[in-house]
Amino acid sequence: MASVTLSGLRKEYGDLTAVDGLDLDVDDGELLCLLGPSGCGKSTTLRMLGGLETPTDGDVHIGDEPVTDQPPYERNTSMVFQSWALFPRKSVIENVAFGLKMDGVSEDERRERAREMLDVVEMGEFVDHDPTDLSGGQKQRVALARSLAIEPDVLLLDEPLSNLDKRLREQMQLELRNIHDAVETTFVHVTHDQNEAFTLADSIAIMHDGDIEQIGAPREVYDDPVSLFIEEFLGDTNLVDATVAEVTETGVIADTAFDTEVDVRTGDAAVAQGDGLSVSFRPEELDVERVEGTDGDGASAVTGEITDVLYRGSTVRFYVDLGGEHLFFEQSVGADTAFSAGDVVRVSWDPDDLLAFAADGARVGRGET
Amino acid sequence: MSEVELSRERAEDVLFRAGYWLLFALIMLPIVVVFVTSFQRGQYLTFPPHGFSLQWYRQFFASAEWLSAVRDSVVIGVGASVLSTVLGVMGSLAVQRSDSTLARVLPPIILLPLLLPPVVIGLTLLIYFNRIGFTNTYLNIIVAHTLWATPLVFFVMQSVFARFDWDLRDAGMDLGARPSRVFYHVVLPNVRGGVLISAVVAFIVSLQEFIMAMFLKSYGVQTVPVLAWTSLQSSLTPLVSVVSTFLVAVSIIGVLVSAALMNMEWLAERL
Repeated sequence: MASVTLSGLRKEYGDLTAVDGLDLDVDDGELLCLLGPSGCGKSTTLRMLGGLETPTDGDVHIGDEPVTDQPPYERNTSMVFQSWALFPRKSVIENVAFGLKMDGVSEDERRERAREMLDVVEMGEFVDHDPTDLSGGQKQRVALARSLAIEPDVLLLDEPLSNLDKRLREQMQLELRNIHDAVETTFVHVTHDQNEAFTLADSIAIMHDGDIEQIGAPREVYDDPVSLFIEEFLGDTNLVDATVAEVTETGVIADTAFDTEVDVRTGDAAVAQGDGLSVSFRPEELDVERVEGTDGDGASAVTGEITDVLYRGSTVRFYVDLGGEHLFFEQSVGADTAFSAGDVVRVSWDPDDLLAFAADGARVGRGET
Repeated sequence: MSEVELSRERAEDVLFRAGYWLLFALIMLPIVVVFVTSFQRGQYLTFPPHGFSLQWYRQFFASAEWLSAVRDSVVIGVGASVLSTVLGVMGSLAVQRSDSTLARVLPPIILLPLLLPPVVIGLTLLIYFNRIGFTNTYLNIIVAHTLWATPLVFFVMQSVFARFDWDLRDAGMDLGARPSRVFYHVVLPNVRGGVLISAVVAFIVSLQEFIMAMFLKSYGVQTVPVLAWTSLQSSLTPLVSVVSTFLVAVSIIGVLVSAALMNMEWLAERL
């Protein structure tokens, strides 16, 4: 168990900067998810933490110990690889006992401890199996047991669930959570899947272009994104172009692309008349009702016709046409108020739920709502 | 497709196969001649042979000169095989997953001896070894053959390592194994087949090599091809066919052993 501190961490490959001066603190025993799209530098960051890549610049501390120049075999970190990297030609238990063998633990003791670890991940009956015969989920468990067997200060997980099918992935997310609670080790988990991050994490660090854009508890990050990038990455939303028509006491009145002036509570943020904004209308914040006529427009409502209905498994997505601009909202399949194409609806919202972003992507009026 | 086109396609197919086998037979014919004449009766090499006998095989096994050449060839072959395998495997390992200057410069340098005429290497080594007073014939020829076999091992291993999953190495180091232990416990078990095949190829290359062995031979130590050449100069007896048959046989056995090893690896992976 140990905390992790990354300071000013940089990694360059020739002209390419993979990690760009990143700072990060992970608390002892925390489960942190490094979340980001592919190519954002999250795996490179994890590999530098494990010593598998050497930083171009910056420092890595595990606990109070500087480990920047330590090779991976001297660091007490252990990684679960995306490909799991189980050793072929070694049985399941030999795989799990490998780290203990390298530590010089006696054969009897390491077999016993490996067996215990296999029980923790519910693979006790596969002790003498060849890992190449196991299914993806089983390999994943063995890889986890192998890494946990050396009792690492920090467990590093490099998208280990991304090769599993959806159902198994969700089950493993819960199990990982439980295992984390049981072993009380610091976990750093890399993923590109925001649902996985929300399910697992104590805190989420969202990476963009080699640096952390925002870090916080899952709920906090979701409710209060710092930038347009985060807002778009964390979920599908309606982004509407708007121009500041008037600055008011509580925020602005914005002239939107669907020709309706809308109240946006940006507080006393520094915006001026004529500034361009992107306004996010999150689908889950929209209230929709069927109406007659199209005179329901206002500062927090618009009226339009449903043009498209998309079935997406357990939810249905409806697109409302607002004079060329579209807003979508979703309902569970089988909800009472099923809409169909051609229905005229009034879409309304609470002005406090709208999020506004400036032209450079930064959130306008964060913390003021 | 019409009937005419179909029969035309079949005719082309037959022609192609016939041409292919003809070419193959032409290439293989000398080996057949060597093999057949090794069983002939009579003093002089003739083809087709007159009568069948094992007299030249008996003579071969009765000849102290030939048996000592076989021993020399084996000693040198094993030495060159071991040395070039160690050097080639380590060299290839060194340039894996590295974009350093060394990794870019090393492959062409390793390849160089294979591109130089053996006459040049043989002569150069002869002068060099004499100058530095290094006169152990075994070691001299082993070094010469290692120069040739190392690039072959190196490039076989390059393709073997290209298929190796380097995450396994990372996992090994991550679990506390120093690089040497990672090589022994993680890398080697997974590339064993490739290493053995490299060693077999190196042994065969050494066994067949004639020109450098000719330059570097001494009164007491000479390899089988060198002795074959010297005895050919005095008389063309079927004994040379016997020797050639053995050389061809060793090569074929080497290939078969490698194939069997590959198959066992393949089988082991599936069992």
